[in-house]
Amino acid sequence: MRIAILEDDASQSELLSHWLQLAGHHPHAFEQGANLLRALQNESFDALVLDWNVPDLSGVDVLRRVRQQLHSSVPVLFVTGRDREDDIVLALREGADDYMIKPVRRLELLARLEALARRARHLQEQAEVLEIGTFRVDCQTRIVMRNGRQVDLTAKDFDLSVLFLRNIGRLLSRGHIRETVWGPNAVLTSRTLDTHVSRIRNKLGLTPEHGWRLAAVYRYGYRLEHLDQNAIQRLTADDPKAAA
Amino acid sequence: MSGRVGQSEVGRDSLQPRVVWLEKDLEQLVTRFLRRKQADLQRLRAALLEADFEFIERVGHDLKGAGEGFGFPELSVLGAKLELAARGREKELLDVHFATMERYLKRIQVRFN
Repeated sequence: MRIAILEDDASQSELLSHWLQLAGHHPHAFEQGANLLRALQNESFDALVLDWNVPDLSGVDVLRRVRQQLHSSVPVLFVTGRDREDDIVLALREGADDYMIKPVRRLELLARLEALARRARHLQEQAEVLEIGTFRVDCQTRIVMRNGRQVDLTAKDFDLSVLFLRNIGRLLSRGHIRETVWGPNAVLTSRTLDTHVSRIRNKLGLTPEHGWRLAAVYRYGYRLEHLDQNAIQRLTADDPKAAA
Repeated sequence: MSGRVGQSEVGRDSLQPRVVWLEKDLEQLVTRFLRRKQADLQRLRAALLEADFEFIERVGHDLKGAGEGFGFPELSVLGAKLELAARGREKELLDVHFATMERYLKRIQVRFN
């Protein structure tokens, strides 16, 4: 998972990042709430780990903006030393999904994060075989079938396709896509990413006439949408290329 | 060893070395953490001279949160005491806690396996 950590204590931040990395996650640490909010304008994460007491915007301020201004339902876990009942209640009422009081234990933290992610994802994501509309994706054999016919995909195209199909309706940042498909240390131009997206759009028929739209969101990333009949009619009435 | 908190051998005398065993992959992080805590100690004493209790409370709060995760539960306990004493502006008690922290950091011997 791609996880943003808001924590101003350098030692604590390093420790949390270390634990997450050991567990195979990709942590991104932020010392200030404003910096995290700025990043959220251009990036997507699978979960946020927020400390309460940080300079400038507090963890709760960040949470409020994430929920009310960014309208994001990203899972949020509070990890804070504030242990008063009214603090816990406030954070949960503002939209936190879980709350842990420091000092936290590694395995418990990881288990709670995984539980949050599990709840947030579609149940399909856990499945080895995804059945979505006309698609059947076998993650074991890495084969995508469309209308019963196998689609010829490269390894990266397959990973990219699965990422989108598992996150239908969710806006994924370029950084998120790059990190999930190519790995955290990959150096990739925007053009390369766009080329891959364009290729799977064509190969999988992710276009309005087929009931899909793989839309680019300017300076952010992409979102795969499963269209209803009204949207299909509206979009196909226009130039299908423009709609895609 | 799969646990994150090291096994420790607590000496009977507070001046005896206190050995903490931790996982090898934590070596760099722990070394940096202890170095920071040594530096914090100097800053805490300076803050007390200036009656900057807010700073002390914050450092105590951070220590409470981080100590146990690194394998030093005593530092988490001490952090909580610092936070509380700073909130109550208890200068003498803070001095005592600083001395305890200094003694602890001197005694600690971390080994990695």
